[in-house]
Order: sequence, then structure tokens, then C-alpha cells
Amino acid sequence: MSVTELTAASLDDEFAHLDEQSKREIRTALLTAVAVPGYQVPFGSREMPVARGWGSGGLQITLSIIGPDDVVKVIDQGDDAGVNAANLRRLIVATTAVQETTDAGAASIIQTRHRVPEQPLGPGQIFVLQVPVPEPLRGVERDMRELRRMHAEADYSRMWVSLYEDIVRHGVVTRTTGYPVLVGGRYVMATTPIPRWDVPKLHQASFLSLFGAGREKRVYAVPPHTSVEPLTFEDVAFEVEQTQGASCLLCEADDTYLVEVPARAAWICSDTDWCSRRRDHLGGETGGVTLKTGRATVGRAKADGITADGATADRVGTGGVAADGVTAKTDRATAGGVAADGVTAKTAGAGGIMVDRATADRVAADGVPAVPARSQRRPSVPGWTLQVDGLTRLFGPVTGCRDVSFAVAPGEAVGIIGESGSGKSTVLRCLAGDLAPTAGSAVLVRHGQCSQEQVRLFELDDTARRVLRIATLAIVYQDPAEGLDLRVSAGGNIAERLTAAGWRHFGRIRSRARSLLERVEVPVDRMDDPVATFSGGMRQRVQLAKAVVNQPALLLLDEPTTGLDASVAAGVLDLIRDLLEETGISAVVVSHDMSVISMLTSRVVVMHRGRVVEGGLTDQLLEDPQHAYSQRLVAAARG
Amino acid sequence: MLDIRGLEKRFFIHAIGRQVDALRRVDLAVGPGEHVVLVGASGAGKSTLLKCVWRSCLPTAGEVLLRRADGTVVDLARADDRTMVELRDEQLGYVSQFLGADQRRSVHDVVVRSALKRGLAGDEAGDAAAGALRQVGLGEELWATRPVVLSGGEQQRVNLAIGTLRPPGLLLLDEPVASLDATNREAVLELIAGVARTGVSVLSVFHDLDAVRRLATRVVLLEAGRVAAEGEPGEILEHMGVLR
Repeated sequence: MSVTELTAASLDDEFAHLDEQSKREIRTALLTAVAVPGYQVPFGSREMPVARGWGSGGLQITLSIIGPDDVVKVIDQGDDAGVNAANLRRLIVATTAVQETTDAGAASIIQTRHRVPEQPLGPGQIFVLQVPVPEPLRGVERDMRELRRMHAEADYSRMWVSLYEDIVRHGVVTRTTGYPVLVGGRYVMATTPIPRWDVPKLHQASFLSLFGAGREKRVYAVPPHTSVEPLTFEDVAFEVEQTQGASCLLCEADDTYLVEVPARAAWICSDTDWCSRRRDHLGGETGGVTLKTGRATVGRAKADGITADGATADRVGTGGVAADGVTAKTDRATAGGVAADGVTAKTAGAGGIMVDRATADRVAADGVPAVPARSQRRPSVPGWTLQVDGLTRLFGPVTGCRDVSFAVAPGEAVGIIGESGSGKSTVLRCLAGDLAPTAGSAVLVRHGQCSQEQVRLFELDDTARRVLRIATLAIVYQDPAEGLDLRVSAGGNIAERLTAAGWRHFGRIRSRARSLLERVEVPVDRMDDPVATFSGGMRQRVQLAKAVVNQPALLLLDEPTTGLDASVAAGVLDLIRDLLEETGISAVVVSHDMSVISMLTSRVVVMHRGRVVEGGLTDQLLEDPQHAYSQRLVAAARG
Repeated sequence: MLDIRGLEKRFFIHAIGRQVDALRRVDLAVGPGEHVVLVGASGAGKSTLLKCVWRSCLPTAGEVLLRRADGTVVDLARADDRTMVELRDEQLGYVSQFLGADQRRSVHDVVVRSALKRGLAGDEAGDAAAGALRQVGLGEELWATRPVVLSGGEQQRVNLAIGTLRPPGLLLLDEPVASLDATNREAVLELIAGVARTGVSVLSVFHDLDAVRRLATRVVLLEAGRVAAEGEPGEILEHMGVLR
């Protein structure tokens, strides 16, 4: 066969608009998506004869998987006759000559924007969704690399914080479409563009769901019989949109997703095909068999779908709202034979969320981590909490710090003092993992009840380091903006650390955050205000609360009071000292200020030009400094 | 209890490039239950000697051997810092002329915290603190105030309350009655005598010769960093009188 003939044949055979290579590439991406449920697979989105944002992603999926025997249904907002739906259907049918239908039960491929049909779908059916924004975390993070990291490590604490903030501000979770779900216990996925009403239908569904975002060049999938759990706190019900007493003007159904007809102050079914067939049934044509939707009891949220069911933040906070329906069940005994189990609106201990075991254990009993009793402060296990050996960090020819060694005992605070540029912050940043050391080692020991666990800080990968920073190693920065998300409320900032450690109970998160904020003397009535509205001293207090909330083994304090005015600094300093004493947390305090060091620490090392020039008891350094530099430092402090 | 052998302390002052020999080969022992008082002119090295034991000064040479409660002996001149932190909590007490206590906590709080450090349980610590404060004659009306607003004498007594509360094996006192009026001085001297009677060893510095006479079981006279004389209080005081 000549090339010309080959080309001619392929042109003649062109089926479903796309060339075979494109289809194959898209199908490969889809297979990956099916293999890793909920994971967004990049693909080479083609130019389509529809504008991007008009369903090009869903269209590419449909055209890649469709065969001559398929029967296709396309809906837009539940309506088969919508302009967009009609156009897409015409394109599909014109390029494939497949059969079209409006009957969801009869279709083998259903392409949709915004709805899952009321008619329960069954095995063998493929459900294709046109997705505008595939990234569920877009609202909480913009940096693509960071987003990928969050997915890769299943680090969804900020998503939980956004739900927390939503409940605090509005009394309910206000997300309508694109409600975040946890797929297969692993990936958080955007259910965009379907309303919450339809979310439970995806859980353990017998059909295959394929999501395509043409503009964003991503496909993802939910294979049959995969768990799809809406993210919601243990004590806050997942609610779907529903208006009390509303029913369809046409078919009188009150168990379907209704849309408002403002002109007539009435409601009609969003799924037009379902509505019309129900009307036919009501007419008695099938002998009084009532059609049932694929959904039964769900929690009832009030009018407009989303306004609070009277659930104010406070009610939620104090006792946990017992909203009407905590479980949104899918009716199994319906025509289509949906083999779905009830979706429990519960994501307790969801897999994939990395929970620090020690923390989980300590919070297990009642969700409130136990504060070690004073008598346990000096553990029977001798040894160090932190041992730093020969830590060196060079910046090219410039020495950040060289051969720094020191150790911190359990419950002890050790100071690092030196002038600006002496390398003390470099040491701290290496310990915190913000900087990679050039040489040296640091071993952190977490003393358990009867065991101890050693962590070699400089040998951790990024993921392990992040997990370590949740509940084992905390840092308080000089600038609160580094340790806090200023757009998030004080309570939300603390909730971030708690959700990262696996807390999923809104009421407990809130009461723990409240008690901590009380402890650091932040007025509780400011708890729900964004930290950006706080003064410097208050921000530093919130940062402290956030740092100690999971009872870390080691707290790093980097110039914690520098930049605060004297009276505020004194208050923060008092607080740090009291917190260290109460909690028995070991600490490394970096400061250029002798008064800070002498107040907080029992031992100190003096750094000068990147090296430790002297180490000793803090009062000995003040009384009897040995090195010339230490003597100058002490003399200066004495004024 | 405490055995100091050949203790030397040399301060090197880098700014002026000079060294000062504060202690030169000092030998000194304090037996169990003994109260040894250091006397001598200003600059003789009395406070430095106490500090070398407390280790807020680093000895240059020699040994400072302390017998712990469990009978083991530790050389304070060579003990590492961490050991010193523990020894200070458990074995040593130090009351200086200056308030070492936290200035921003209430008087009561400061004393309770020291009691906790000494290993008393929560309730006991509160009672012990109240008892100690009463003993040094600090009225309850002052307990809630911060030490920083107290007079010198009152601060001194807070220090004493801390130092004598559940007294450790060895108590170091540096001019404990220096800023007290006659009445309070009486009370404090009585308190110190009482502590010594419980078997606590005391090494102290007094300028007040009457106090020396009343409290000391032995007196050591320091001159220019050396032990010039040592003996019964009467004997040494007499010797000092001769010198004058």
C-alpha cells in the first residue's frame, strides 16, 4: 500500500473526529486514571471544534472510547435539550453515526456537565464528566509544584482547614459544586461539576466515571466499586442541597434535584428526561409503578441548598451538630440495580493521611493529647533529646556555620547566642530542615513510655521531614508570617496542625484550639479572626500555640521576641518560659539577646563567625565568660 | 561532704589583656552538718570560691569533690554542664547577695517552683513554700507581688526562702543577711542555724562577725585568694582582730 493510499484510507475511516493516535494517547491516560483512582493524569488535550471550557475535555474522552455499537446520551445541567448538550451530541453522532438516546438507562456512554442522572446507572455504563477545574486544592494553594507534593504525600490538612474555616465563618460547608471527596481512601478529588446532591451516587458505584478537563489537560477516573467519601468532619454531617417541602411543578417529585423557576416561584426537576418519564408513569401507562431515584434519605439542608440549617459555628463547636441525616444512603432496590452501599459521611482516620503514630496514640483516648505530668519530666531513660555533631553549612566560600556540636536533654532548653551573622540561625534552619547541611549529623530522640525512637534529622527525605514537623519537631520563627497562614483564622492555623496529625472531629479540634489560645492569652473572641488582623505580639502567641499543639519532642525558637516592643516581648517571653516548663518540651532558643537566653535556658553555646567559641551553664557564661567574644557579649548585655 | 583541693581560679580579661588570680591553691573541706564560714577582705576570693562550687565560675585547676546523697563523689570542677544542672536541682543550694529568682513571677510562684524542682509534689510544694516564706518573715500580703517591686531586704528573704526550702545536702550562702534590718536578721540567722541542725552542710560568706560567731563551726580566712588561717570561730576572729 502506498502512503497516499494509506492516508486516503485513514481519511475515509476517520471515526469520531479524532485520529487513532490521539485516541490511543487519551485512552492510555484514561487507563492510568482508572488504575490510580482520583489521580489527575496529564494528557495532550487536542483542539476541538468546541471552545475550551465548553466540554472539550469530556468530548475528547467520549470520542476516544466510543465504538459503533455505543448508545450515547449528552446532558447539560440535567437537560438533554440544552444548547451545549445538543451541539456536543450532534458532533458525536455526526462523526460516529452511533445511536443517541435521552434515556439514561439505555445509554452506554453518558456525557454530562453538572449532573448525574436521577435514573440509577448500572454496570457497563460509562459516565463522562466535563470538568472545568480538576484541581480540588486550587482554592488553598496556587503553586503547581506544591499542589503535586500535597497530592503525592496525601497532605490534605490545608483542605481540612478550608472546611474548618468555612464552618466557622458560615456555620456550614458552603462548597456546592466541586465538593472535595477522598477517592479510594487516597486522593482528594474534585467532583466538579456535579452538585453535592449527586456526590453520594459516585460512592461504590457500579459504573465507571471518567472526568476530562480539556483546558487544564487532565483526566481522572473513579472505577466501579470505589469508595468516594465526601470530606467532612466526624461530627459535621455531609449535607446535600434540598429545599424543605419543595417538589417538581411538573412531575411532583420531591426526591430529585430541583432547580428553581424564579418567575413562577416554583421548582422543577433538573433531570428533564427523568421528569418527563415520571409524568408518563403518573399517567398510569405502566400500571402505577412509581419511579424511584437513585437516592433516598439524605440530610436536609435548607432553601437555596446551602444556607445554614440553623447550624451556627458555635453550635457546631460546642457539641457537634447532630444534623438530620449524617448518612446519605443510596437506594439499592431500584430499577437500575445500583449496587451501592450507603455513603457514611465519615472519613475518620482516612487512609493516606499520614498520621504520626505517637500523636495518634496520645490523642486516641478523648482527642486531647495528654500533657505529661510534672513528675515525668525527667525521664528514666538517660540521654539526649537532640544531639548535634559537627554541623557545618557552607555557602560557597562563605561559612554559615562550621563544626557546631551541642546536645539538648529531655525537658531542657539550650540557648544559642551570637551576633547577627554568627551562624546561629543557619544552625536552626539546618535542624528544621529548611537548609541542607554540608556536613555533620543531628539525632533527635523521641522518648516514649517504654521505648525511644531515633530520627537522624539530616538523613530524612522531604516527606519524612514534613511528617516530623507535624508533631515531633516544631519551630517558632521570628516573623510569625513564616509560621502562620495570615489569611486563616487563629483557630484555623491551629486546626492545620491538628488535622495534619489526623484529627477529624470538628468539636474537638475547636475545643483544643480554644484551650490553647486561652493558654497563650489570645482573647477567645478573636479566635475566628484572620491572623492578619492581629498585632505582632498576638501573632507570635498564635504561632507558639500552633507550635506546641501536638506536643512536639523538640521546639526550635528563632529570635522569638525580636521585633516586638519591650512590654509585649516580655509577655511573650514569660509565656514561652511557662509553656516550656509546663509541657516539658525540649527547646533550642536562638537569640542575640542575653536576657532572653538567661531567662529561658539553663545551658548555652556562644557562636561567633560560624563556630561555637564557648558553651556552658547560662549563669556561668554571664558570671565567668571565657572567650574574648563572650566577654564582649556579656559586657554589652550589662550595658 | 565537700572537699576542695588545690583550687585555682584565674580570670583572664581579654579586653585589657590581663589576668587576675582570684584563688590560689585553696584547700578546704566541709564535713556533714558543718557550717564553714569564709571571712576576709573584699576581693579575697570568698564569693569566687562559692561560685566555683556552684560552678557559675569555672575552676582553672584543682578539684571540688562533692559527696552526693547516694554516696558517690563527683568533681564539680570537671563535671559536665548537664550533670551540674542536675546537681543544682538535687544536691546544691545557693543564696547570693543578688536576687537570682525570676523577676516577673509572683513571690509565691517563684518559691513554689523551686519547691517543685526540689522534688516536692504539687500540694506539698505549696505548703512548703508558704512555710518557708513565713519563716523568713515575708507577710502574705507580699506573696502575690513580683520580686522586682520588693525592697532589697525583702528580695534577700525571698532568696533565703528558696535556698532553705527542703534544703539540699550542701547550702552555699553569700552574704545572706547583708541587707536586712535587725529584726529580720535575727530571724534569718535563726533559720540558718535551724537548717544546719537538720544535718545540712553549709559553706557561707559573712561580713557580720556576730553572725560568724553564732553560726560557724569553723572559720576560714581568705587573703588574696589563699587560705590565711583556719580554725574555731573565736580563734580566727581573734587572729583577725590582731591583724587589725
